[in-house]
Amino acid sequence: MVRRKNAFCYLMVAPMLALVLVLGVYPMLQTLGMSVVQYDLMRIAREGTPFVGLENFRQIAAEPRFWIAFRNTLVFVAIVVGCVVALGLFVAQVLNMDFRGRGILRSLILVPWVTPPVVSSAIWIWMYMADRSPINQVLMSLGLLDAPIRFLTDASKVWGPFSVPMGAVSSVRIWNGLPFVTVMLLAGLQSIPHEVYEAAEIDGASGIARFRYVTLPMLGPVLSVLVTLLAIGGIGHFEMNYIMTLGGPNDLTNVLSVLAYQSAFTFYRFDLGAAISAIILLSTGTVAAFYIRAQLRGTGAG
Amino acid sequence: MSAKVTRRRFLRAAGLLGAGAGLAACAPRVVEKAVEVEKEVTQVVEKQVTKVVPGTTIQFWTMNYGDPAQWLDMLKKHATEFQEKTGIGVDVQMINWAQGMNTWLLVARGGAHPDCADMYWLHSFASIGGKEYGPLPITEYQQEYWPDLKERFFEGSLKDVYWQGEFYGIPWRGDIRPMIYRVDFLEEAGFSKPPETWEELREYAKALTVRDSNGNVLRWGFLPGGANPCQNFMPWVWQAGGEFMTADGKTATIDTPAMAEALEFLYQLQNVDKVIPPEWLEPSFAPMDYFAADKAAIVFQVPDDWAKNLERDYPELDGKWAYEVPVKNKTRACYSGAGYWGCLRGTTRVEEAVQWIHYLSQDSIMTELSQYLGRVSPNKNVMSNPYWQEKEWRKKIVACLEHAHTSQHPSPAWSRIIVHQPGAPIYDMVYEVMNNNVPIPDAIAKCQKRVQEEMDKGAS
Repeated sequence: MVRRKNAFCYLMVAPMLALVLVLGVYPMLQTLGMSVVQYDLMRIAREGTPFVGLENFRQIAAEPRFWIAFRNTLVFVAIVVGCVVALGLFVAQVLNMDFRGRGILRSLILVPWVTPPVVSSAIWIWMYMADRSPINQVLMSLGLLDAPIRFLTDASKVWGPFSVPMGAVSSVRIWNGLPFVTVMLLAGLQSIPHEVYEAAEIDGASGIARFRYVTLPMLGPVLSVLVTLLAIGGIGHFEMNYIMTLGGPNDLTNVLSVLAYQSAFTFYRFDLGAAISAIILLSTGTVAAFYIRAQLRGTGAG
Repeated sequence: MSAKVTRRRFLRAAGLLGAGAGLAACAPRVVEKAVEVEKEVTQVVEKQVTKVVPGTTIQFWTMNYGDPAQWLDMLKKHATEFQEKTGIGVDVQMINWAQGMNTWLLVARGGAHPDCADMYWLHSFASIGGKEYGPLPITEYQQEYWPDLKERFFEGSLKDVYWQGEFYGIPWRGDIRPMIYRVDFLEEAGFSKPPETWEELREYAKALTVRDSNGNVLRWGFLPGGANPCQNFMPWVWQAGGEFMTADGKTATIDTPAMAEALEFLYQLQNVDKVIPPEWLEPSFAPMDYFAADKAAIVFQVPDDWAKNLERDYPELDGKWAYEVPVKNKTRACYSGAGYWGCLRGTTRVEEAVQWIHYLSQDSIMTELSQYLGRVSPNKNVMSNPYWQEKEWRKKIVACLEHAHTSQHPSPAWSRIIVHQPGAPIYDMVYEVMNNNVPIPDAIAKCQKRVQEEMDKGAS
């Protein structure tokens, strides 16, 4: 009976597993394989694809643009995850309150989420165009600006890894990701029993104390899942950086996924692109491993 | 047997399967296999001359030009007429320019391909595809279908359809680039005619740049070109008397006084005179938008279909702009691009595809396509049509033909060298000089080395 039940479960999972293997695992392994051979389209007809071991990784490690992209990837993840979680917490708290029009507001907050990233990028490119940006026009008409901000092209104002274009692209990624975080946190907030807040209030806890000692700990599981998913997604993020700036100006917004794409499809170096993709896989795998390990420790398993 | 044991067995089996799949996926192709495949493909290609089979349908891919819907309708109309005459159906499909490079890259590496297509960069894709994929030489058909090839087509345009002595198709479109300027802005600034030399251009650009009380530019005097940054940069080098490589495509010629002169001139315009927007090197920069929005007075060399696009999309600017032959330094070299109709390796309907290309290459159809696009044709009969003398801008385009300098280069690595993205040698050199204040000799020396390395890799 148990055997039959297990067989049935495996049968039900099999189609999804097959899809994951074919569309996810196999291309991933193929890419890993490509990262240890020479796969330069300019030379492939003459030289084929000989095995080169770790030579591709040595080449990308010797390339300054790789380290710039690596650093930018980490900075983007830190900025976007930090800001979107903080903002998401704030917005979720507001939407959790009882006020008129809450339902409409909850629907409106989803608009950036249902807008495809490609469309979002196109919209924000226009919004950020230096000479016709409505943001610049409003700020200049209010006298807050003397010159238009070159949101996507100003390579002159750089503070370490931070720059105006990085801020501009980050803001779009935060805008696009905020609804998902808000919805997850709102669901988490609504699962917190009111009695806990009442008890805290009775004990004399202020609003901030209730947030710190009740809300945050109770949202812990949701937050850990969110941060992990956002970090994994952030490390591999491609569309907005590529569409809005192509990684420029001056590599200020270049990230690993954009560099991998350019190596492969712009410069025909599929081997180098695959090597960079392997680094991305390693990075996201590390984040996932830490999360799974923490989860297993938390449940007492493993 | 317990459920735990069953689960363990299943996981073990899945692990073994996965490892096996992984090993298979990771197995590198070896050179011997490539040679075997080449032998097979060579045999297949030799058998590809087949008889025409009535009722056959071939697939033809075209890039998009002008209004995509109109362009597609025009080609489909001709496809219908062709089918009525020959019984051969043509399935016309369109590729957006945004996907063009990746599409042809995939085709050159064995991806899905049509029987024939409107293509470009023959040297690069033929080199990438080798004898297995990509463009197919149709040398054996040239004498039968185009015995007067050299008489009918401009000599320069034929360089774009020959590779390693083989004939690959018919050049059908040109892309000669005149200078464009705002007549009203020049008159306002007291100029009765457009600039003729680099030095005059500099004076004009300074006079035509308009700033507000805070020094912010409301209108730029000059834009270095109307296309992507690398295409915009190339004519400056040619006009200074330089080239990017030798005629045999084996040696890079970046480190020359002409290259330094071109970079220095543009550097002065951008960073000293401040008459060029610093964004011109960024991917989001759209020169047409600037010009149409009254934010630029002169644009150096623009794709020749700007006129058609301005007439169609910005009729309010009629009479306010004009084409002119570009300003001159040592030469008046004008950027000249090209596209051709050719067949693809892997097709089993070569005869039908060649017949379709032959049909399209009739003077009447090439005239129609050229006039629809407002672009020059490599066909001499088309360019002698009175159409090209009916409007001032068309006359100027014809005048530019005398100064045409092909943008194609004989190295297969050219497409990788000239791509307008960070990481490409030419782009990086220009960007470093213009925006990062890298000394010109240092930037040039680094670019020379990088371009030569790329050319050595791509050498067949």
